[in-house]
Amino acid sequence: MIVHAIFFYTFSLIAVVSAIMVTVSKNTVHSVFFLILDFISISCLFIMIGAEFLGMIMLIVYVGAVAVLFLFVVMMLNVVQQKNTSFESDSDGKHIPIGLLISLIIFFELIIVIGGWKYKPDLLNSISLNISSELTNTHSLGYVLYTDYIHLFQLSGIILLVAMVGAIVLTFRKRSGLKRQSYFKQISREKVEGVDLVTVDSKKGVNIDV
Amino acid sequence: MIDFNLILPEIFISLTLMFLLIVGVFKKNSSSLIYNLTILSLLVLLALVLNLSHIEEAFIFNQSYKIDNLSNFMKILTLISAIFVMLTSSKYLKLIKIFKIEYPVLILSSILGMIVMISSNDLIVFYMGLELQSLALYVLASFNRDNLLSTESGLKYFVLSALSSGLLLYGCSLIYGFSGSTNFDEISLSISNVQYGLTFGIVFILVGLAFKISAVPFHMWAPDVYEGSPTSVTIFFAILPKIAALTVFIRFLYVPFINMIDQWQMIIIFLSIASMIFGAVAAIGQKNLKRLVAYSSIGHMGYVLAGLTTGTNEGIQSSIIYLSIYLVMNLALFSCIFMLRRNENYFENIDDLSGLSKNHPVLSFSMLIILFSLAGIPPLAGFFAKFYIFKAVIEQSMYFLAIVGLLSTVIAAFYYLRIIKIIYFDPEKEKYDTDHSIGLKLSLLLSTIFILIYFIYPNGINDLVSKINII
Repeated sequence: MIVHAIFFYTFSLIAVVSAIMVTVSKNTVHSVFFLILDFISISCLFIMIGAEFLGMIMLIVYVGAVAVLFLFVVMMLNVVQQKNTSFESDSDGKHIPIGLLISLIIFFELIIVIGGWKYKPDLLNSISLNISSELTNTHSLGYVLYTDYIHLFQLSGIILLVAMVGAIVLTFRKRSGLKRQSYFKQISREKVEGVDLVTVDSKKGVNIDV
Repeated sequence: MIDFNLILPEIFISLTLMFLLIVGVFKKNSSSLIYNLTILSLLVLLALVLNLSHIEEAFIFNQSYKIDNLSNFMKILTLISAIFVMLTSSKYLKLIKIFKIEYPVLILSSILGMIVMISSNDLIVFYMGLELQSLALYVLASFNRDNLLSTESGLKYFVLSALSSGLLLYGCSLIYGFSGSTNFDEISLSISNVQYGLTFGIVFILVGLAFKISAVPFHMWAPDVYEGSPTSVTIFFAILPKIAALTVFIRFLYVPFINMIDQWQMIIIFLSIASMIFGAVAAIGQKNLKRLVAYSSIGHMGYVLAGLTTGTNEGIQSSIIYLSIYLVMNLALFSCIFMLRRNENYFENIDDLSGLSKNHPVLSFSMLIILFSLAGIPPLAGFFAKFYIFKAVIEQSMYFLAIVGLLSTVIAAFYYLRIIKIIYFDPEKEKYDTDHSIGLKLSLLLSTIFILIYFIYPNGINDLVSKINII
């Protein structure tokens, strides 16, 4: 149990510190790397509570795809040199105190909420989840994904379709004068029109410009 | 066994949007074909929903999807307004050269999201519908991608909406953590006493919802987005997302949390009062008609929320009637804005209306009716909308809310009347083109007639709405 606690606090500490560093660090590339570190430690936390599928998906999707995409965007847009000055300069920093005040209030309210939860342990029992310990995460997800939650699964497919259509609408431009390959034309070419048999006279050559 | 008849409209709309995409890919220059097919499929959809409208209450997918009088009425409202929005905007899209195959497809997918939201009886279903709806709207807002204002409005809406979605999701997770379920009915069963966690979750979800209907203080995006988007998208923004968001407001507040009314009543009262006052005051200095409509819609949302504060069926019904009449008035107003066209250019400033009555008496007269109705002058439909709201509010002895509402109506009347003054008494300008599409003329005609003759037979809508009993 003590080992469990040590691991838990280590990963949580890394997660919190790197989350702060994402916003504070001046170099944008460093921010993205801290974001990756944050995702990794959160996925470790997921694995620790036995949600190994969620943890692995977190690694694959967020670290493998999203964060790397961020990295590409940051490097391609060349925003590395832009300094994160909101914590330093006087002119633009006027929003900081108010923002801090509001977030502090929300933070303390959250403490009250979570404190209230801890002192009432019967609340947790009201959550009726029947999870069988013999099944793996992937199995139990598979049991409900296409049965109980089929409508949500299909709906998320449509959301992805809309995202794809949207990305194409906003970025795709037709250029004129572009030469494209036409598979149909290529395949439907016949021998008769493609090959020409010519008798070549000796030492005369043949004109191949058709 | 699932009764698939209950979700036939949803299945039909998903298949249609995929079919239209395929048609668009394989058939060259099929924009108008797809546009007309979309209108046709919306009509079929309306028939499918009407076919289900006799169902009093039915659940599907483990109680997470609900078909009842509320959802049927709101779906019909959504589809009818969507058909009219599509009818008004085809010529506009052609003239500003954004008449692409993706436009109707995105509109359809956004409507699918709204329909899912309207029927949702579960936090997850509701969130999925919301995301589908807003994802399509982000793209639509920046659809005129070569226009700087349009792309800016899309980006602004996207960033702020993503933030509000984050807050909303956090609220959902708190509610799930403290009640043990995402289903609205089960949440209401599991609430025994007031818990801070649940209150917190309600606040976060209300923030997200208030953002979607642009209630003060979550209104900042509305004027910029309304102004920047193409007008055909602005009319969509001004009408359709409000229907879905109001339905979720009603379901969310009145099904799981009706016993916690003391907790959320003050929040809704605050949102309502702030929206009414801000919408009235901030609209005074506007020069752009679309911006003005944005502020006026903020104000109108304040009145809709005032009906929700009451905690009674009458309050809900008055809100729904207000929303329906507001939709018709907005449709009519935007039809007028679409008619301000000269030599393939659209005009959207208030100055462009100057002296309109000399050259276009019919258009000016219908604008007069619409603006009087928006200001709430009897016997037009807008007056009755406000009347029902105030009646429901006063019955619960919430006099302060009613007084603030009346005062802001008076302030708001100023800028509506100012436009009428500009139309009728200011020096005239050049003539506008009059060769409008039949769809545009039809929607202006029908909506103006509705506003004019609502008082003769108000029971037509009121009887339908009075069937909606949530509590």
